[in-house]
Amino acid sequence: MTDFRALISRLAGAGVEFIIVGGAAATAHGSARLTLDLDIVYRRTPANISRLVGALAPHQPYPRGAPPGLPFAWDERTVSNGLNFTLTTALGALDLLAEITGGGGYDELLPHSDRLELYGVECLCLGLERLVHVKRAAGRPKDFEAIAELEAIVEERRKLG
Amino acid sequence: MTDVSRRTERFGPDPVIEAYKRDVDRTLIRENLRLTVEQRFDALVRLQQFAEELRRAGGAAPTRDEAR
Repeated sequence: MTDFRALISRLAGAGVEFIIVGGAAATAHGSARLTLDLDIVYRRTPANISRLVGALAPHQPYPRGAPPGLPFAWDERTVSNGLNFTLTTALGALDLLAEITGGGGYDELLPHSDRLELYGVECLCLGLERLVHVKRAAGRPKDFEAIAELEAIVEERRKLG
Repeated sequence: MTDVSRRTERFGPDPVIEAYKRDVDRTLIRENLRLTVEQRFDALVRLQQFAEELRRAGGAAPTRDEAR
């Protein structure tokens, strides 16, 4: 199970620059669908990668679904040399994304993100309209239901004014 | 103009998504929109716990063959 509170608090508390995307962002906007992991887009600067590595290091990040015992080193070099990491951690499942289809990286997503006060910390979450846009851009049939729900949320919000 | 409304104006509504939209439970959405963001995450965690409990119970239940 993913401890959203702990993951978000640890990352934001360490000053990591990240944007919540995917199912957790949909939850933030009012989705009732179950999501099992936290997806974030992180800023690819050396300083931010260093903060990200430091924040997660105590929580045993490891490639999710990989057999145990792989020579996986969680350090700045690994993150700098890679882009996207699908991880299991002691706090739950965490996907670190350098960029997303139809949305780009952190700097491109930043103007389309909402600032949230969550669990006592401030963090960024991809805005509802842009979330619909990137899900559409991904073009995955498995996202059709999610897109339909997100568009229904857009409509319901509009009704609320 | 928003991404969604810009796209809808340009191409019209996507018939596939519109078909899926008919089955969206809007009562759940309206309930969620009344909650704070933190309360929405708390509800997600409870849903995860419930799903995990169902998986555990399903794994522990005897199969039809074992029950005979």
